[in-house]
Amino acid sequence: MEQELQVLWAAIVTYVVAGVVSVVSVALGKRPERTVLALMLGALALHTFSLGIRWERLGHGPFITMFEILSSNVWSLMLAYSIVYWWLPRIRASAAVVLPIMFVMMGWLMVVHPGEGHYPATYHTPWLYIHIGLGKVFLGAVLVAVGLAGVVLLRRAGLGVARLAVLPGDKQLDELAFRCMAIGLVFHTLMLIAGAIWAQDAWGRYWDWDPLETWAFLTWLTLVFTIHARVTYRISPPVHAVMILGVFVVAYLTFFGVPFVSQVPHQGAV
Amino acid sequence: MREDLAKDGIDIGGVAGALGGARREAAPMRLLRSVASLKVTLVLIAMLAVGLVIAFRFEHSRIWPMVVPLALLSLNLMAAIATNAVFRRQMPLLVFHLCLVAVLLLVSAGRLTYLKGFAGVTDGAVFDGELAVREQGPWHRGALDEVRFASSGFTIDYAPGWQRGATRNQVLWQTPDGRWEKAEIGDQDPLVIRGYRFYTTFNKGFAPTFHWQQPGGPELYGSVQLPSYPLNEYSQAVEWIPPGSDVAVWVMLDIDEIVIDPDDFAHFRLPNDYTLVVRVGDERTEMRPGDAIALGDGTLTFDGLRSWMGYRVFYDWTLPWLLAACTVGVLSLGAHFWQKFTAKPWDA
Repeated sequence: MEQELQVLWAAIVTYVVAGVVSVVSVALGKRPERTVLALMLGALALHTFSLGIRWERLGHGPFITMFEILSSNVWSLMLAYSIVYWWLPRIRASAAVVLPIMFVMMGWLMVVHPGEGHYPATYHTPWLYIHIGLGKVFLGAVLVAVGLAGVVLLRRAGLGVARLAVLPGDKQLDELAFRCMAIGLVFHTLMLIAGAIWAQDAWGRYWDWDPLETWAFLTWLTLVFTIHARVTYRISPPVHAVMILGVFVVAYLTFFGVPFVSQVPHQGAV
Repeated sequence: MREDLAKDGIDIGGVAGALGGARREAAPMRLLRSVASLKVTLVLIAMLAVGLVIAFRFEHSRIWPMVVPLALLSLNLMAAIATNAVFRRQMPLLVFHLCLVAVLLLVSAGRLTYLKGFAGVTDGAVFDGELAVREQGPWHRGALDEVRFASSGFTIDYAPGWQRGATRNQVLWQTPDGRWEKAEIGDQDPLVIRGYRFYTTFNKGFAPTFHWQQPGGPELYGSVQLPSYPLNEYSQAVEWIPPGSDVAVWVMLDIDEIVIDPDDFAHFRLPNDYTLVVRVGDERTEMRPGDAIALGDGTLTFDGLRSWMGYRVFYDWTLPWLLAACTVGVLSLGAHFWQKFTAKPWDA
């Protein structure tokens, strides 16, 4: 286990360096984007290696303990953001918002016990990977939207307006954030469907209003509300940005809060 | 997601019609357009979220806080579809919303006709449609009475710490034409007969089997299922009354070995070294297979020990239709956004 933790530490340090470079470069008006991209990809490679060692050692993926769930989500969120960072050069300065958000999860990951947990029999199904994979895409899309929303709100607050001028205007950022939220809605819906199929096979019911299911549905509703509100009221980019942050908070609580305060079958307690 | 309506400048709630003031619409149409308003949609989504929280917090009030906003949302959506040509022109978006309505209708139909329950079946005995726990919708008209299957044994792996692993249950089940088929079911694989789905559960244990003979009466065979093992390792006892008798019999399984070693990898199995303690009134008897005792109104003979498996039973004919509606719905939603987003570059 020591080796996987050392590699994980190296990955986290590299992520943090990438984040610090992003924030400092925006503050100084510099654009070392290739350096940041290289650091993020390097950190992802190290993180993938660490997860791989653990997977090989335990014989199952990082789906059980808080440590594993945090680690795999840091990995998937960083992967999602790195893809967008590479694909849409015009929004790269949003890394100064996104990476500090990721620091919170990384800090949490570093203080959680890395022990192993019981892998329930009901987890031996392809639906586990489908369900969780779809959820990670959803959260990744919302994270990108949060980064763009954060830039809009910083500008609105008069913070770093000149430095953030390298990014497109608020309207364009708002449209991009809306697209990310739309992708998030599609993948969240798919995640719910895949979860229902898995629950029917594993526990004999497709939906039971357990805390995680209820919160997941609440997240879906907040997502739908935000998308409907934007098109109904033509809300301004800052208001839309606040709503996106609200969706992220509810999603974050659903993913990282609820599974660890309830004893529902999602933890394999059957 | 009915953004195209708003995009085209149509505020369904506030505008009487495309002709503006040139021609005044009939009152029913104005009412329908008000019902179809996107602003109403927003209010109803918020109502549903609040209803969801209420339903989650207060278990006894789970129906109306959800049903009322869902019913109103359905009305709102149907009114929108009926009144807005723009909405109808967006085929993928229309299909998505129709699928949402279909899901609601199917869930409602499912709640009216579902059945869920629990049955414990002793190895070798045939399930005859009787459930220990039963909950069903008012319109359930299934054929559970005609379902027949028998458990012919199961294996369950345990890791150290009694961490339950895979369950494999061999069953024999009767086809509609009367033939008996073999199958293996387990954690992800239920037994499905006539739409009823039987799932193995963590509830399983030991069942002493007896035959019971009253003077002049038929010889009856049966079993008594002891509490789930190893969950109730230290309370393997139960009281029951043999059929036709008025004598209460208390039995306890006294196991003199470690059946599932908590410190090692193990399997669920029947104990080899055990005694069945039987108490009738103040009289205590220790029985081994083949032993018999007189109860006053009959003779009870202990045949031996078997295992029993608890099955969760579930019936809902809407399942495949729900899956179809959800799949078509989410594909339509994806197609809608794909059309919208490919029309304009992402880095424009």
